[in-house]
Amino acid sequence: MYTRISICILLISISISSFAQSKINSSTFGAIEPRALGPGTMSGRITAIEGVESDGKTLYIGTAGGGIWKTTNAGASFTPIFDKHCQSIGALAIDQKNPKTIYAGTGESNMRNSVSIGWGMYKSSDEGSNWIKIGLDSTEHISKIIIDPSNANILYVAAPGPLWSDSPHRGLYKSMDAGKTWEKILYINPRTGVADIAIDPRNPNIVFATSWEFRRTPYSFESGGKGSALYKSSDAGKTWKKINKGLPSGDFGRIALTLAPSSPDNMLAIVEAKNTGLYISSDAGESWKEQSATFNVVSRPFYFSTLVIDPIDPKRVYRPALNFSYSDDGGYSFTDASSDGGWVHSDHHALWINPKNTNYLVLGTDGGVYISNDRGATFMFCHNLPVGQFYHVAVDTKSPYNIYGGLQDNGSWVGPSARPGGISNGDWKLLYFGDGFWTVPDPSDPEVVYAEYQGGNMARIDFTNFKNWSIQPLQTTKEEKLRWNWNTPIITGQKNKKNLYVGAQYLFKSTDQGRNWMRISPDLTTNNKNKQKQEDSGGLSADNTSAENHCTIFTASESPLDENIIWVGTDDGNIQLTLDAGKTWTNHSAAYTKLGIPPQTWISSIEASKFDKMTAYFTLDNHAYGDHLTYLIKTTDGGQSFSRIQSPDFTGFAHKIVEDRINKNLLFLGTETGLFCSIDGGNNWFRMKFGFPEYALVRDIQIHPTENALIIGTHGRGIYVYDDISAFRSMSDELANQSAYFFPVKERILSDGKYGGGGPYSGGWNAPNPESIAPFQYYLKDRLLSGDAKLEVFDQDGKLVQTIPANKRKGINKVYWNLRMKPPKVAESGTKLDFGGFTAPQVLPGQYKLKLTVGTQVMEQEIQLKHQDEKNYNLEDRKLQHEVSMKYYRMHEDLARTVEGINQEIKQYTEANTKLKKKKNKDILDQYIKELETLRGELVASKHKSVFADEKKLREEITEAYGSVVSGNQRPSNLMIERADLLRTKVDQAATDLKNYKNTKSVKSSAALKSEKIVLDIKS
Amino acid sequence: MKFKILSALILLTFSFSNTGNAQTADEIIDKHIKAIGGAEKLSALKSVILEAKVNAQGMEIPMTMTTVQNKGWRMDISLMGMNGWMVMRPDSGWVFMPFQGQTKPEAMPQDAIKEGLSQLDIQGVLLDYKKKGHEVSYLGLDDVEGTECHKLKLTTKEGTVNYFLIDPASSLIVKTINKRKAGGQEMEVESLLSNYKDVDGYMMAHTITSQMGPLEIVKITINPEIPASKFMMSE
Repeated sequence: MYTRISICILLISISISSFAQSKINSSTFGAIEPRALGPGTMSGRITAIEGVESDGKTLYIGTAGGGIWKTTNAGASFTPIFDKHCQSIGALAIDQKNPKTIYAGTGESNMRNSVSIGWGMYKSSDEGSNWIKIGLDSTEHISKIIIDPSNANILYVAAPGPLWSDSPHRGLYKSMDAGKTWEKILYINPRTGVADIAIDPRNPNIVFATSWEFRRTPYSFESGGKGSALYKSSDAGKTWKKINKGLPSGDFGRIALTLAPSSPDNMLAIVEAKNTGLYISSDAGESWKEQSATFNVVSRPFYFSTLVIDPIDPKRVYRPALNFSYSDDGGYSFTDASSDGGWVHSDHHALWINPKNTNYLVLGTDGGVYISNDRGATFMFCHNLPVGQFYHVAVDTKSPYNIYGGLQDNGSWVGPSARPGGISNGDWKLLYFGDGFWTVPDPSDPEVVYAEYQGGNMARIDFTNFKNWSIQPLQTTKEEKLRWNWNTPIITGQKNKKNLYVGAQYLFKSTDQGRNWMRISPDLTTNNKNKQKQEDSGGLSADNTSAENHCTIFTASESPLDENIIWVGTDDGNIQLTLDAGKTWTNHSAAYTKLGIPPQTWISSIEASKFDKMTAYFTLDNHAYGDHLTYLIKTTDGGQSFSRIQSPDFTGFAHKIVEDRINKNLLFLGTETGLFCSIDGGNNWFRMKFGFPEYALVRDIQIHPTENALIIGTHGRGIYVYDDISAFRSMSDELANQSAYFFPVKERILSDGKYGGGGPYSGGWNAPNPESIAPFQYYLKDRLLSGDAKLEVFDQDGKLVQTIPANKRKGINKVYWNLRMKPPKVAESGTKLDFGGFTAPQVLPGQYKLKLTVGTQVMEQEIQLKHQDEKNYNLEDRKLQHEVSMKYYRMHEDLARTVEGINQEIKQYTEANTKLKKKKNKDILDQYIKELETLRGELVASKHKSVFADEKKLREEITEAYGSVVSGNQRPSNLMIERADLLRTKVDQAATDLKNYKNTKSVKSSAALKSEKIVLDIKS
Repeated sequence: MKFKILSALILLTFSFSNTGNAQTADEIIDKHIKAIGGAEKLSALKSVILEAKVNAQGMEIPMTMTTVQNKGWRMDISLMGMNGWMVMRPDSGWVFMPFQGQTKPEAMPQDAIKEGLSQLDIQGVLLDYKKKGHEVSYLGLDDVEGTECHKLKLTTKEGTVNYFLIDPASSLIVKTINKRKAGGQEMEVESLLSNYKDVDGYMMAHTITSQMGPLEIVKITINPEIPASKFMMSE
């Protein structure tokens, strides 16, 4: 009996490398990787699609915030191939003559308010497996890449350039050496970039380009100006001429341009102007004629810039826009796609047509990828592309807990964190519609959820039936017109869970689930009237969808320690604090500007500390003024002063900061380009990698209030969950500098796992459940290249229960023991496997020793495995189950011995038979061998090899009963118990039979052998 | 799917042979070759038998892999008295895996054999790769589960792409990635190599971990005599 020691760690040797300091970073946490929950139901914005023409089934999908995905089977499955790089993709191009070469332009160019930026051009020479950066680093947005059809070394790249600031890094770029060097061949001014390009496949010296003047501020958008124009070059971009003939007078906005590949003189353009129109040219762009167009064809030109003509048929024109339109007469008339194949998500941005099968279209929308096999008349959705763009996530405390979130253009959803068989697309339910943002369960009422769509249109939703009631506060005589952010905060109380807060320019509070409201603040914003002219927004085309609403409250946080303390952050730079539940407010924004942070910076999140009333963390986002720096600040004196938290590892403007609920030094930060962690209160930070896309757009982070989970809402990669962050809470420099460390586990509840279920994968995105039986964790300072790693489990008598191979990666490793014994040795059949040989009884409660060997180091600890009563299953039931299981277990092993004995006997006599010369003697042995085979035939299935021919013999009978008893925690039934007696009789009889055979039936055979002086070769 | 698993099994068992601190592919390969025994020693490697086991929750499944340099490869698996095998030669390959009901050997697709050819080179494709007609490029450092490794891309003369991730400190291979397109199904088979031990002067990985779990090599026999019949379909 081992003495009970809670932790027993024996370090037999310490490697030399352990004296080197190990910096804590993502690799320290090794195998603690998140689950990618997706889902694929609501996919995300697709920005570029290119296919390999020679096979028609390899597609590259560029997304707004989910990187690049590749399918090699025409969409049956997708793999992310850009996880170590920028996730915002603007354009893709494949060298069709050498389709191993792929170009990616990062930074999408659908210039909505939430668009992310890129880092320039990338190139892969191995079909997307590896990428190198090849320049244009400061372009921020790339809309198109064209490879010269006559010379694959010549590339054209259209760069609209930065959205939020002037920049010289925009225009049309050309490379003559496959991306090694670049020359800017068309540049208008710092406000005007190049949006579209087209090249004449007959004469690649003829190049068209459209320039676009545009600009966003936090409170306005302008598309159009003197810089926008249509250009043509006849000398491969050396000189350009502006084309005006037939085009409207006045300023242009964005121009979408295309030519018919099979008849390149025929061109189409959608020209954003005071009256946006569709224009047709039949003389290679020299002159144009306006053509009547449907609403969809000319809608929202800054956002819908795709226009494609069929590769073979010059009359077949496609206009993916708000909806999908196509024309069979060169653009004179259009028809909209049917919804017979299901609704096609609105807002289209990319289209690929297989030139060798022009029925096959791949469409990219705000809600994922759709495939058509009938030239765009109907479409089928790809359910397996988890690129959802969440703004916020939230969790409840049910079991299993649910995850809530709102997505760009995809509503508000709820899905379980675990489910029998895993979490599939169908487990996610739509709670609310529109663009989704804050989707928040009521912590005081499990049947209520709050959700919204853009501009503060919020509702209380009954979780049991998804009926909803509007709860948006309304203006009275005491308020100015209410200003609601695109992404209006809905916040529940952290201290008083009945408190519900929402923010316009005023903070409103409800204590009755939004049925009635109190305004608890004055206007907390700067109320700058110059930033409130949204009705004039859009430029040439009016575009005011609440996305530019400004001077609004963007975030708020009630102190978990005092409901009277509420922080509020506004989109125009104010940090406001009340200490008396809203009676009085103090603006602390001047204090943070002393750190050099510009005064109007958007306050993107506030985390009131769980450990100190006067401490809070804030993220600030100034990207809407062209400033992409990471701003993270902290106050410990209630906003009187702030300190800036910085790290050389930080990239991207900051969205969210959270403080752990257990360890106040554990912080997580989400930015536009990554998830960061600090375990020392913000002094040092590292980027989270390994299983998590390194530069994901991290919009929201939640630490579960009762479980140890970290839930991440990304804007382009759906939801990720780290199920157990305990190791982040306990990690220290001291621990990280040990060469190896076995995390102590005092006790575990014996469990056969939380969920059953599962079955054949039926497509779509399927996420795994959390680990059903928790693994044991150990830390390695360095990867183990020499020496083995294994976990051995011993019972209290010192008997080895299991040996399990263990991993050797740097950082934390996991080793999985299923809490069961080794399976029994089952009788060999030679024709069929037997399930019994893979099944083992769970071990009994008690003290066990875990011996972990890693190279030359041995670490031991004792663990108490405990029984916990379950429904219809108490300790007595468990003991009985084990007792009965072991009866069958021993039957298997006894039968295996008997069958082995028979096999041995058959082998000996078969070998001896070959030495016999007399037929009479041979016949005697043949007869004996046949009898032995008949005996074996009753014990194990050996007649048929086919899996379709069931054969139940004694081995199979034992497994039938054994499997019923062993699998799952349940008290064995009366019949399971009684059957053991019957089968035991048969097993014993088999052993007796073999003995008798050997003693009696073999006599004749022995005599026959003796008569020819043959001696049996007895090995057993 | 069957041949995906098959290819993975073949690759898994072949990844054992093949380390650096240098910046060019050739320098990295030279150091690696030295670290695993040296060019002369590797050139003397003509045949090898690997005896291995995989552990399925306590149930050990024995496997034996027999290879003769560029001539043939055979894997035998024994489970509950049932014996399965795969054989591959430069011109043909056969599979007999009765565990799920297969009743007779089936031919390996020709493109799978073509992709497997370089794997018959037990001296390692990196040794004298130029003479063998392969191309190698250095892709820089890449992170293998937290360990920064040199990444080499090798394109065989048949056009198959393999990546080698080599630990700069030891010059041993930590990971291989093999791109496969056999049967029209594209996949990347990844194997992590560890538990390196000296076997008659060769540094050989004794644990190869794939998506299917770890394969533990318990015994390696260097240059045994192996009859040609070992790689015949009928055996």
